[in-house]
Amino acid sequence: MKLTLSIPVSCLLFALLHSCAFDVVRVTQIPTKLDSLALTKSSFELDKEVTVNLDTGYSRVLKKGTRWACVGAIPEGDVYKTKDQILTIEGSNIHEAYIVLKSQDLVGFYLPVERTFSPLSNPIAISAKEIVNNP
Amino acid sequence: MKTLLKFFAVIILSLPFWGCATSGPKYSELLPALSTPPDTGRIYIYRTTVFGAAVQPEVKLNGEVVGKAIPKGFFYVDKKPGTYEILTSTEVDRKLSLLLECAQTRYVRLNMAMGFFVGHVYPELIDSETAEKEIQDCQYTGAELNVQNK
Repeated sequence: MKLTLSIPVSCLLFALLHSCAFDVVRVTQIPTKLDSLALTKSSFELDKEVTVNLDTGYSRVLKKGTRWACVGAIPEGDVYKTKDQILTIEGSNIHEAYIVLKSQDLVGFYLPVERTFSPLSNPIAISAKEIVNNP
Repeated sequence: MKTLLKFFAVIILSLPFWGCATSGPKYSELLPALSTPPDTGRIYIYRTTVFGAAVQPEVKLNGEVVGKAIPKGFFYVDKKPGTYEILTSTEVDRKLSLLLECAQTRYVRLNMAMGFFVGHVYPELIDSETAEKEIQDCQYTGAELNVQNK
């Protein structure tokens, strides 16, 4: 009898583990709309390296000296992208990302493929070395 | 009995190396002949590690199978600029989303990670400088080879 019961119980446990064990770390995403006409902000160059600890447990480094160009705005802030480094954010999946700044604070990321905003729990102050005009 | 044990030992020991025999030309050999068609961008997809070599899932680009995650292998796709999702499936799905611009080359490395029953293969976007070093000795595994002599 015990053996008869243990087989379905094992199968059930296996099914539960199999379906969810590795897909639990999701990047928080809020649908948003990028207004690319709002290109009023300048580009900037990072003065210092910035380490960003994501809520998913992963971290990312914005390298010193990288140049970031404004590509528009979303309600959460201004959106900047760079060609000087790869930037992705990561949970169970990986998403290419741009940074979102509000008053010199990094408040989150804009995901251009998903068209969503991924907020940071703790905004990070960004130190920009030089502000230059968009080419 | 001993013969049977030896047989299983050989099978088990050879498991990690199954599928290692990538046989196409190396990236470094092919590169001079590979040109990107106009109005497209290129995505190179490669796998450097032989760890978990028996695990070789299909690689899908926006739902379309474009290749397999073969150890020490690479392939590429030329696509119109736009948004793309690269997906590998083992016991779980792993996705990478990226943008592709016209005349842009992007590199996606297929990494291995531990799984519950089977290792996970996950795609990661890599910067050109790093990728071009890593991919040099990888061998072409793609089905479609559009080689144009310069």
